Amino acid sequence: MKTKIILISFVIVLGLAAGVVFFRPHTFHGTVIQSPEPSYNFTLTGANGDVSLSDYRGKMVLMYFGYTFCPDICPGTLANAAQALRNMGDKADEVQLIMVSLDPERDTPEKLAEYTGHFYPSFIGITGTKEQIDEIAALYGIYYKINEGSEATGYLIDHTATMMVLDREGYLKLVFPYGVTSEEIADDLKYMLRQ
Amino acid sequence: MSKTSFNIIYVIAGIFVLSATAFKVFQPIQVLPRMRLAPAYQFINQDGQALTSETLRGHFALYSFTYTHCPEPCYNSSDTIQEIQSRLGEVNLGSIPVSFVSISVDPDRDTPEVLKEYGEAQNADFTQWYFATTSNKSLLKTIVGAGFETYYEDKGNGEFALDPGFVLVDGWGIIRSEYRYTTEVSDADRILRHLGVLAEEVQNSTGSAKLAYEAAHLFLCYAP
Repeated sequence: MKTKIILISFVIVLGLAAGVVFFRPHTFHGTVIQSPEPSYNFTLTGANGDVSLSDYRGKMVLMYFGYTFCPDICPGTLANAAQALRNMGDKADEVQLIMVSLDPERDTPEKLAEYTGHFYPSFIGITGTKEQIDEIAALYGIYYKINEGSEATGYLIDHTATMMVLDREGYLKLVFPYGVTSEEIADDLKYMLRQ
Repeated sequence: MSKTSFNIIYVIAGIFVLSATAFKVFQPIQVLPRMRLAPAYQFINQDGQALTSETLRGHFALYSFTYTHCPEPCYNSSDTIQEIQSRLGEVNLGSIPVSFVSISVDPDRDTPEVLKEYGEAQNADFTQWYFATTSNKSLLKTIVGAGFETYYEDKGNGEFALDPGFVLVDGWGIIRSEYRYTTEVSDADRILRHLGVLAEEVQNSTGSAKLAYEAAHLFLCYAP
């Protein structure tokens, strides 16, 4: 009788432990957003013509605001995103990274294509007029300020360095802080692609 | 009484004690939904200084919308802000600062000097209550209209059609609550309660509590 009780107790504890492990909700590395409506759609220009955010419905979109003259933060973030996609194997085909330029004066569509292509073949960069960029950046919570530079060094731009994830239906789902690692990006994307 | 009856009583008492303990330990987590990103901006405040969305990163910020030439009777958000400011001590905010931003939708007339005079008339504490706007009217419309989803329109006779309300933004720049309708509980009471919920969330955003809070955000979506 005593053995039976011990055995049943053991099975219950094991069952509970398995339940905790298998049904534990995913802990996101980015901040989860529960937006009730799709994200603001816009159209800008890429190397192959106009690009609308809505063109990528059906894919997970990683969206980043930066500029090609950016000395450290932008290349670091794009390199991490590229590594994350490489870690994901075939699943990476379901993710599209779009970089919106905050420097329409210097970032031509061709220059953006060359820059983003260095990181990952499918990455694209888009740009537009300053008025368009101002509006889009404001609505995606991206503050930016063009600093005065010198003729030799050019100017630098202060900007919010977050990266956003939009789901297949265009809803903003996740915001990654600056400094997120490629493993963390891949972990969250893989989980979201399974949903 | 038989032995079986005693056992049943013990089991019922045990369940009662366990339930009470569980209820205490696993209190329902109160969460405010993360509704959408707050718009980014670069305004000029009442002192002629830049006030940006990045300045207030890490703060809880309560936004309101106004203009100083609003004719009487004009919805006055200042009374609510003054009440919240005076009652902040009721909320356990830890070390998280709270800021109030009153955005003017009338940049032509609401210069920094006019805004400062207006703020002084409201007895505003300018260390945490900012009056600000931008001369870029198109961008202002984008920020207030599309970003904060607050309707306003210049009627052309010196008056604006303006939907009153408050928007609460957390330290990550995410809109957590909007207050646009009168309810039985006053705006000040609701906002103070929500500030407490947000502060609790920050305090529980690390360690094992983070899991529970993130899970609550995935499965719950209500404002307490």
